Amino acid sequence: MKLIIGGYAQGKLNYVLEKYGAEASKIFDGEIPENIEEKRGIVVINHFHNWVKMKIAHDGCPEREIFEFVEKYPDCVIISDEVGNGIVPIEAFEREYRERTGRILVELAKKAEEVERVICGIGQKIK
Amino acid sequence: MMTLIIGGSGSGKSAFAEDYIVSLSKEKKKYYIATMQVYDEEGEKKMERHRTLRSGKDFSTIEQTVDLKKSTEKMEAGDRTALLECISNLTANEMFAGEVPETEEVVTEKIVKEIETLNKEVTHLVIVSNNVFEDGQVYDKTTMAYIRAMGRINEMLADMADEVVEVVVGIPLVIKSKNA
Repeated sequence: MKLIIGGYAQGKLNYVLEKYGAEASKIFDGEIPENIEEKRGIVVINHFHNWVKMKIAHDGCPEREIFEFVEKYPDCVIISDEVGNGIVPIEAFEREYRERTGRILVELAKKAEEVERVICGIGQKIK
Repeated sequence: MMTLIIGGSGSGKSAFAEDYIVSLSKEKKKYYIATMQVYDEEGEKKMERHRTLRSGKDFSTIEQTVDLKKSTEKMEAGDRTALLECISNLTANEMFAGEVPETEEVVTEKIVKEIETLNKEVTHLVIVSNNVFEDGQVYDKTTMAYIRAMGRINEMLADMADEVVEVVVGIPLVIKSKNA
């Protein structure tokens, strides 16, 4: 599994598509698929943070689901915004979302074989 | 020796800071200077989480929500190290302690001066600070003053520090190296 992080609008998806080939990739936007029929190609999860937010809003357990998913699809690429670099939000839900997304990303980074931070479309390998 | 560690919410900066100071303290007495004011259940939980994270690492905790210079009076003599967590709480506490907010200049000068003093009292000081700068929002005047104070304090601490480490998804990235 590879983890790609960075700020909003930094060209993360483009970076991934250029690196791994657009044709070969299956892109899921803010969604973790239950089952993937097509066995070829790389599974790309884009806007991962949106999926985490949606799960928390529906009282789900994004931690369990994503860790199971990466076990099942060890070749996937997960793309997420970094959302913790700001003022602590007034709303409790927003605070929980930031905190849990951060902690999930820390765990995914531990499991990942490679972590890259993308800024201005440029990937910086940090693991 | 002083190390500044910076990261966002949930970045894993605290866990890294604790492991780091444990690794360099050896037999020295380790102090944890806690700056968080707890007023609700969420704060209670946060503190509990940090306490669990620290348990078994043999820290002596000093609660110091304002007036950092007083923290050294609570330490035993001898070789000692300290982990100060964190600048964002300390800055908020200093700024909003009174009826009206203190100015960013006064807060910045006070905190930096007190850290300078604290740094001379310990063999190694590790400071945890927050990246509160990248959400692109425009807040009310007071919050903007707070963000500027944080930025200025981080800048001055980074200048004073022997090394600066940014923690990103739990991964430490050295942005100022002590060997440089």
